[in-house]
Amino acid sequence: MKTLKLKQAIIAAVVGTQFVLPVFAAESAATGTNGTAAVEIPAFAADGGSPAQEAEIKALKQQVEALVEKVSALEQQRAPAEQAATIQNLDQQVRILQRQREIDQDTATAKAATVPKVTLGANGFSFSSADSNFVAQLHAVLQFDSRSFIHDNNAKGVDGFLLRRARPILSGTVVRDFEYNFTPDFGGSQVQIFDAYTIYHGAPWFQVEAGKFKPPVGLEALQADVNLSFNERSLATDLVPNRDLGLALKGDLYGGVASYVVGIFNGASDYNSTVTNSYAQNNKSVDARLFFQPWKNSDVNALRGFGFGAGGSFENDNPATNSTTGLTPGYTTDGQQKFFSYNKNVYADGVHWRLSPQAYYYYGPFGLLGEYAISDQHVSNDSAGGVKNVDVHNTAWEIAGSWLLTGEDASYSGITPRENFDPRLNQWGAWQVVARYAELNVDDDVFKGSNFNTSLASPKASADSAQAWALGLNWYLNKNVRANVSFSHTTFGGYTGSRTGVPAQAENVLFTRIQLAF
Amino acid sequence: MRTFLILALLLAFAVSINAAEVKLLNVSYDPTRELYSEYNTAFTKYWKAKSGDDVTISQSHGGSGKQAQSVINGLEADVVTLALAYDIDAISTQARLLPADWQKRLPNDSTPYTSTIVFLVRKGNPKGIKDWDDVVKNGVSVVVANPKTSGGARWAYLAAYAYALEKNNHDDAAARDFISKLYKNVPVLDSGARGSTVTFAQRQIGDVLLAWENEAHLALKEFGADKFDIVTPSLSILAEPPVAVVDKNANRHHTTEVATEYLKFLYSDEGQEIAAKNFYRPRNAAVAAKYAANFNQVRLVTIDQEFGGWTKAQQTHFADGGVFDQIYQQ
Repeated sequence: MKTLKLKQAIIAAVVGTQFVLPVFAAESAATGTNGTAAVEIPAFAADGGSPAQEAEIKALKQQVEALVEKVSALEQQRAPAEQAATIQNLDQQVRILQRQREIDQDTATAKAATVPKVTLGANGFSFSSADSNFVAQLHAVLQFDSRSFIHDNNAKGVDGFLLRRARPILSGTVVRDFEYNFTPDFGGSQVQIFDAYTIYHGAPWFQVEAGKFKPPVGLEALQADVNLSFNERSLATDLVPNRDLGLALKGDLYGGVASYVVGIFNGASDYNSTVTNSYAQNNKSVDARLFFQPWKNSDVNALRGFGFGAGGSFENDNPATNSTTGLTPGYTTDGQQKFFSYNKNVYADGVHWRLSPQAYYYYGPFGLLGEYAISDQHVSNDSAGGVKNVDVHNTAWEIAGSWLLTGEDASYSGITPRENFDPRLNQWGAWQVVARYAELNVDDDVFKGSNFNTSLASPKASADSAQAWALGLNWYLNKNVRANVSFSHTTFGGYTGSRTGVPAQAENVLFTRIQLAF
Repeated sequence: MRTFLILALLLAFAVSINAAEVKLLNVSYDPTRELYSEYNTAFTKYWKAKSGDDVTISQSHGGSGKQAQSVINGLEADVVTLALAYDIDAISTQARLLPADWQKRLPNDSTPYTSTIVFLVRKGNPKGIKDWDDVVKNGVSVVVANPKTSGGARWAYLAAYAYALEKNNHDDAAARDFISKLYKNVPVLDSGARGSTVTFAQRQIGDVLLAWENEAHLALKEFGADKFDIVTPSLSILAEPPVAVVDKNANRHHTTEVATEYLKFLYSDEGQEIAAKNFYRPRNAAVAAKYAANFNQVRLVTIDQEFGGWTKAQQTHFADGGVFDQIYQQ
C-alpha cells in the first residue's frame, strides 16, 4: 500500500504540471491529517521496520526528491515560454489598441478639418468653411448719442438723443483671396449704404478694391468710426471726401513701412455722405495716398507708432445739371450745424483738387493726430451776372491729442482695455482724456460779387471761418462697449447776418455716447 | 479715360508678374513620396534646361481614394498620380476637371510604371507565411489598409480575391469566404498604405503586411533588411497606377504645358530609371531588364481579366454595400 502510494506520487511528479504539484502537496497534507496510508511512513519509521524496508524507503525518498527537483526544473523551463507568449499577446493587444486610437484620432482630425467653423467672440460672429477659404462675419456698430447745446438761446441746435450710427456689417472672404464688406446704416433719418466693396488680395503689396468705400485722402476720415476720439470728426474732415464709388489699387510695402492707394472714383464733394450709389458726371476723380511708418518694424519703441504721409485727389468737375452741383451741401460744426453753404445756382466748374498732409504719433498711452487739408475748387454762379470760374481755396487743419489714464497703449486702430469693466472684481476698464483744436477757413473769394444772387456765398448766411476746441473723456468698458462725454466750443468769423444761432454766435455742445461695436 | 487705362495696365502688369511663377501641385497616393521627391528634382533640372524656367513642384500624399475626393472637393492639383484609374475616373465624372478619355493621352493607358502586391513578414518569417492560404489561417495577424480609402488596399483585396477564385474554380462564394477570413485576421484598418506600413513596421503590429512591392522594398531600406523579409505569393495582381493632367486646374494656373511635360518625362529613360530605383516596375524594357534583380517573378493577373475592369470591380466590391462592406460587417 505504502509502495503503491509512493509510486503514484512519483508518476504524478514525473508527468505533473504546475497544477499537479500543489495537488500532490495537498494530498500529502491531507493524508497526514486523516491518518491514512501516508501517516504510515513516519509511523513506519518510528517503529523502526526492517533495514531493507528502511533502505528501500530511503531510496524512494531520494528518487522522489530528485523527481521533485526535475519537475521544478521543467516547470521553470516551461513557464517563461508560456509567460512570453502571454506577454507577447498582451503586447500586441495593447499595440493594436494604441494604433486604433491613433487612427481614430487621425480620422477625427481629418473629419474636423472638413467641418465648417462657427465662432462668436469680441470680433463678432464668424462662419467659416473648414479650409477658411469662405468666411462670413457679422459685425455691428451701434452709437447712441445725446447732444445738448448750451447757451444757444434755443436758436438753432436741438437738444436730444439720436441714433448716430446703427450698422449691421456683413464682411468676410470668398475663395480665400476675395474680401467683401457690406455696411448699410440705419442711423439718422434715412437708410444708406455706406460701404459695399470687394478687395482682391493678390499679395500684401497688390490688392484691388472695387465698390463704394472711403477714398484715400483724409487721415481722420479714414479712421474707423468706432475708434474716433470724439463723437464727431473735426473741421478738417469737412474738406475731404467721405465715401465714393470707384476702383483702387493698394498695398503695403516692406511689411507695412510704406503703404499706397491709388484709385479712380466718381468724385465726391467735400465730406458729403454720398447717398447716391451711381455717378453724377462724366469726369472722374483720381485719389491717391502715400503713408509711411518708417520705424513700424524696428526696435525703437518710441518711434514705432509714428506715421506720416499725404492724401489727395484731382478731378475736373463738370456736373451735368444744376441740380447736381458737384459742391458740398455745406460745412458743419462739431454739433453738425451748418455754418457755411454756397448760394443757389452755384456749381462746380472745373478743376477740383485736394491735398492733405497728415501724421500721427502713438507711444504708450499717448496719442497725437494731426492733418492739414486743402480743397481747391473752381466754382461759378450760374445766375445772370454771377461770378464765373472762381478758384476757391478752402483750408482746414486739426490737431488732436489723447492720453490713456489707465496706461493702455494708444492706437489709431482702437484701444484694448487691460481690464474689462467688472465692479465685482474692482475692475473699471480703460479711461482716456482727449483734446482737439481745429480750424476751417473759407476762401474770401466766395463772398465776392455784387449781391447775394451773383456771389458764390453770402456773408449774411455763412461764416468764412470756424475755430473749434473740444475736450472729452472716453471710457472703454471693454473692447466692445464704450462711453464718451465731451464738450465742444466753436466760434465763427466773417458772418454779417442778423439771425440768431450758428454762425452768429458760438456753438457750445455737450456730447455723450454709448457705443457698442463687435 | 487715360487714367483708367493706366490703372488697367498696372493691373495687367501685376497679374503678369504672378503668372511668371511656375508652380505645380502633384496630388499622389501614399507610397510615392520618395519616388516623386527624387523625380521632381530631376524634372526641375530637365525643365530648366529645356525652357529656362524654374518650376516648383509641391506634393500631396494620402490614400488614393481620399486624394481623388480632395481634388473633386477643390484641391487644385495640376497633375494627379494616383493608385488606380478608377480614382481619376471619379475626378473626371464627378468634377469634370479632365475628359473621360484621359487614359488615352499617354502611352500604356497613362500608366508609366506598374507594381504589385507582396507580403512583408518579420525576419525569419516566424509564422511561415508563403502564400495567400497562410494569411487566412487562424492566429495570423494581417495588416492592410482600408480598401474604401486606399488604392493599394484595393489592389491587395483583389489580388487575394483573384487567388481565391483560381483556387476554387471561380466559385465566388468560396472566394468571398476566403476574403472574409482574411479580413477577420486584420486587427486595424489604416486609411492609406503608408499608414499600414507604420502599423506593421513601426508599431510592430501583425505578422504580415499586404504591401505594394515598392513599399515593401522601401521598408527594408528604411528599417533594415535584418528586420523584415519580402515574400512573393504564387499569384498577385498587376497594379497599374495612372497619371493625368487635371486640365481645368492646369488651364487656370497656366501650367498645362509644364504639367504635360512633367508626366511625359516619366516615360523618359531617366524617369523610368528613377521609377525602377524606387522599386516600381518600369514600362521601358531596357530599364526593366537592367533592374530585373529588384523584382521577383510572380504570376500576375489583371483587373480586366479577373474583374471586368475597375468600374465593375469598384461597384461590386468597394461601393457602399458592396462585398467588402458585407464581409467586413460580419
